[in-house]
Amino acid sequence: MTASLLVQSAVIGLSIGSIYILMALGLTLMFGMMHIINFAHGAVYMLGAFVIYYVFFQGGAPYFAAFVGAMLLLGIFGYLVERGIYRPIKGGIEPTLVALLALSTFLEAAGYPVFGQLDKHVPPVFAGTRNVLGVMLSNERLVIIPIAAALVAGLYLFITKTKIGAAMRAIEQDKEAAALQGVNVHVINGLAFAIGFALAAASGALIAPIFKLDPMMGDQPLLKAFIIIILGGLGSIPGAILGGLILGLIDSTVATALGAEPAFLLSFVFIILLLLFRPTGLFGHAPP
Amino acid sequence: MRRRKIAPLVASAVGVLLALLLPQIGSDYYLYLFALVFTNVVLAASLRPSLTCGQLNIGHSGFMSIGAYTSALLAKNLGFPFEISLLCGALLAAIVALAIGYPALRLRGVYFAMVTVAFVEVIRLVAQIWVPLTHGMSGLSGIPKPSILGMTLTTKTSQYYLALFLMLAILLVLWKLESSRLGLIWKSIGMADNLAQSLGVNIAKHKLLAFAIGCFFAGVAGAFYAHFIRFLFPPEFGFLMATNILVYNFVGGRGHFAGPIVGAIFLSLLSEPFRGSPYETIFFSIAMLMTILFLPGGLITLPAKLGGLMWRRRASAPSPVA
Repeated sequence: MTASLLVQSAVIGLSIGSIYILMALGLTLMFGMMHIINFAHGAVYMLGAFVIYYVFFQGGAPYFAAFVGAMLLLGIFGYLVERGIYRPIKGGIEPTLVALLALSTFLEAAGYPVFGQLDKHVPPVFAGTRNVLGVMLSNERLVIIPIAAALVAGLYLFITKTKIGAAMRAIEQDKEAAALQGVNVHVINGLAFAIGFALAAASGALIAPIFKLDPMMGDQPLLKAFIIIILGGLGSIPGAILGGLILGLIDSTVATALGAEPAFLLSFVFIILLLLFRPTGLFGHAPP
Repeated sequence: MRRRKIAPLVASAVGVLLALLLPQIGSDYYLYLFALVFTNVVLAASLRPSLTCGQLNIGHSGFMSIGAYTSALLAKNLGFPFEISLLCGALLAAIVALAIGYPALRLRGVYFAMVTVAFVEVIRLVAQIWVPLTHGMSGLSGIPKPSILGMTLTTKTSQYYLALFLMLAILLVLWKLESSRLGLIWKSIGMADNLAQSLGVNIAKHKLLAFAIGCFFAGVAGAFYAHFIRFLFPPEFGFLMATNILVYNFVGGRGHFAGPIVGAIFLSLLSEPFRGSPYETIFFSIAMLMTILFLPGGLITLPAKLGGLMWRRRASAPSPVA
């Protein structure tokens, strides 16, 4: 592997890793607070990409307006999912997981009659290439990195500096105690759903101009996000960021060397081994 | 109290009688359809032991896939008789379940669910990538028809009876297990595993046993499916099929042995007009969400619930003036 190929893999890994991180952050936030895994995260990612297709490409709105629109729209959807599905089940983990699984398969299957059978393509938003350390890279992939970094920084500040963020951390530590201190657990959980869904929508919206769009497009990133949050320890936000970077780099280097499918298979074998032998993740967080 | 015990007996007797008579009244299409329904019943019922232990297995179709491919390849490439290849497929599924299950025992809830999700993807990818053996995405075809003691079952009627026999035999075994001491132990683990452990139950051993037994029968279902459809395609046994098996259990009801059976029959028949299209999945997921939100006990609790409503209405209604 030449040096330029290495740089290229590293930057592509970083940009793909950023997408994974955005997916994983919502998952890990929701797990930390509610001990659930949002199986519908991949479907929300897909919907985010389709909002870009319809609002930006078909509707002619500016890209950033469509981007923010996707986050808002799916954020509201997330809040409604908490109201309509999570809350009525009253914390039963198994039924909640299965209900979210059903929501996911519903959104994906409904995508075929609604969006059509054919793959969709969004034209490039940031056309052209740029020379990075002697390697030509497409702007489309490069621009993902600062946007994702800004969103991650925003989330971090939100959680550490605001009152709502403090309430989220309180719920993560002890739901009952938080409720006794006057935290409205339902609303805060709803906001966590909204944030998680908005971040998934953002990653779908960022990826829309790069990959083809189809209703099942969210499955792979969802499974990648699973791997990341397990790697980083379920519920841990710094763990998810580090896990995302590691997986992005592994992905771009191993996939270049071996091909996409064997690389995917390897990452699954890795996740199973990790779950079996070190279920708290590399950095240790929530006990199983 | 007595009525409660007799009603399911009568229902199952009538069901079995109808199933036995179906070849007399239905065309080949119905035989084909019901043989698949019976396969789904086996899959749903074989997930029940680990669900009872509180293990959410979202990878059951992976074990079905192992049974299907093993049996198909042994019969096709090495000329194994159907009974032996079916048994080998089911045993391999159980062995893989033991290998995965042994370390996974320590995991609970979400963690176990995620291992099984990853597992079903691994099995699908292996079937997809291992082209020399499985023919990958072009699919494995030319699988021999099922045979019994050297006699090939060529007619749909005979294959239908084989499916019926396998289903009844497996249901009987699972029912015997569940109503034995073992079933009680599984239930106790599902309800409060800490308490069960403190009472001297070896929860690790019993969870593993429940998991392996279920996967063995999923392997049987897969092997039958392989020789019945005679074509295997890796994505068929993916995440979606695994979800469907879970859905049968939840929609039917997890509180009673009949739940997965009712769920599998009801959903397979109702979704038949749009089998293979996205509408099948849409139908399944809506049925699932509706059940979880509005009928958490599943379909089997529906009669009692309706009865309760009627009774309450009658009681609260003003008595008619004579």
